[in-house]
Amino acid sequence: MDKLLKDKKAIILFVTPALAMFVVILVIPIIQMFYYSLCDYAALTPPVFKGLANYKKLFFKDATFKIALKNSLFFMIFSAVTQQIIGLFLAVLLTNIPRGRNLFKNIYYLPCVLSSAALGLLWAFMFNPKIGINQLLAKIGIKGPLWLMDSKGFIVLPMWVIAFVALWQYVGQNMMLYMAQITGISRELFEASYVDGASKPQAFWYITLPLIKPMMITSLSLNCIGSLKFFDLVYNMTQGGPNHRTEVLATQLYAEGFNYFKYGYASAISVVLLVMCLVVTVLIKRVIKVETYES
Amino acid sequence: MAAVEKKKKKLLSPVMILIYVLLILLAFIYLAPLLWMLSVSLKDNAGVMSAPFSLPETIHWKNYAEAWRLGRLGAALLNSVLVCGATLVISLFFGSMAAFAIARMKWKLSELTHMFFLVGMMVPVHCILIPLFVRFAKLGLTNSRFGLMLPYITFSLPMTIFLLTGFFRTMPREIFESAAIDGCSIYGCFFKIALPLCKTGFFISGLMTFVGNWNELLLAMVFISDPARKTLPVTLTYFVGPYATNYVQMFAAIIIAIAPTIIVYSLFSNQIVEGLTAGAVKG
Repeated sequence: MDKLLKDKKAIILFVTPALAMFVVILVIPIIQMFYYSLCDYAALTPPVFKGLANYKKLFFKDATFKIALKNSLFFMIFSAVTQQIIGLFLAVLLTNIPRGRNLFKNIYYLPCVLSSAALGLLWAFMFNPKIGINQLLAKIGIKGPLWLMDSKGFIVLPMWVIAFVALWQYVGQNMMLYMAQITGISRELFEASYVDGASKPQAFWYITLPLIKPMMITSLSLNCIGSLKFFDLVYNMTQGGPNHRTEVLATQLYAEGFNYFKYGYASAISVVLLVMCLVVTVLIKRVIKVETYES
Repeated sequence: MAAVEKKKKKLLSPVMILIYVLLILLAFIYLAPLLWMLSVSLKDNAGVMSAPFSLPETIHWKNYAEAWRLGRLGAALLNSVLVCGATLVISLFFGSMAAFAIARMKWKLSELTHMFFLVGMMVPVHCILIPLFVRFAKLGLTNSRFGLMLPYITFSLPMTIFLLTGFFRTMPREIFESAAIDGCSIYGCFFKIALPLCKTGFFISGLMTFVGNWNELLLAMVFISDPARKTLPVTLTYFVGPYATNYVQMFAAIIIAIAPTIIVYSLFSNQIVEGLTAGAVKG
């Protein structure tokens, strides 16, 4: 048996196709991306090595990048906080109701499997200045704001709108993950605590919360990475406008790369994006792990 | 008896009623926009402007025909099915082979290889966009369905390998041992034993990667510019922009684009949901 399982030829045969695709389509392009990010590379001419010029321009001169970075960070923090809290809250509610758990769960999860591109169009229409929600508001005598075209404030109104739409679309995922973890906790644990006189909130605080911590790492990481690389909704709702005020890293990367064909510059943005994803993932693992050890 | 009474009490308690009211309200927030979209897609443009929230007075089926024609949805649907279908088959095949070697076979680098694939889950698609586009343009792989499939397969592999490794690991050792005694080769073990036993795993990881690729916008937008080869999400961007005013057709197109997912979801929602959570819990 062991001889069969140590068959080198078979192992190589099994692993090579996946590994080869990974190296060719993922690893090599990532290395190239790092190189391009150090170059002046405008589509038609070959890349010219320029050192850190792109990064200098990015961090010190580019006003749009500042907005994009700010919006992406806002979006990540907003999503992480709201989706974690509401997702967990829904999971607790749904695991405690006697009937209709599957029905509600499936309804709330539905938008997660639908195309953001399509839902973005739907919500862009809803928040149109003349039709949609503003028409409803007008009926009760309120003049609605220019939802997706307003450009005042530190975080502009359209960004909030997009963030709420994203919350609507993706909170189901966090709910689902937490539900799985909560239903995995043994009922006896809760029953024992009730016998000892614990109230439901106490049981939640002292039993549920500590036991779902591992899931918090998964769900929070998915959340943060997902919101950092967010593209579809923004592209279909505002396309980064008005006047770049709703630009996020992904939309700026797309615009620099494929509207202005500044490949080197766009690569520098993708390096920033990749580094942010990795840092956030590591940070989440660190922070939550420390807490687990302490408690 | 006591238990029954307790249950009744639970159903009627004011807190429970409050919770149900909240849940139903929320369900309304989720379903209303989708149903509203259906209603708009059956109106005419004048009706949308004057009273967008009322039900259509006469039903305009021709919106769908127009959207189908203008948005080239037929071609887009075919492209999406071809690209996602082929991606599904290939990523499951490659993924299951790698997962089998990682989960079942004995070699020094198996854990490292597993880790390597998992890190792939953290890499955003955006990072490979430009280098891959440059290379594919040179090789003539842009504007080709095959070219689009390559990154789709690659980005489907981490999830597939992750889920299938879990499934292969739960299979009892004894099946493989007895097969080996009967003279079964390692390839026989894989194709005749492991694969048939892993139907659920295939189903779950297949559905998940299929849904992901079906909705993917960025890669498809960058790699495909020929209207005849665009996939569904890209085709929808035809209707984007502040000056796009043909709302009824836009909504008809959106309905056509999301209908397949809604149908698949309502048929398999429980499995999709279980698969998602199974994968995450194990991680």
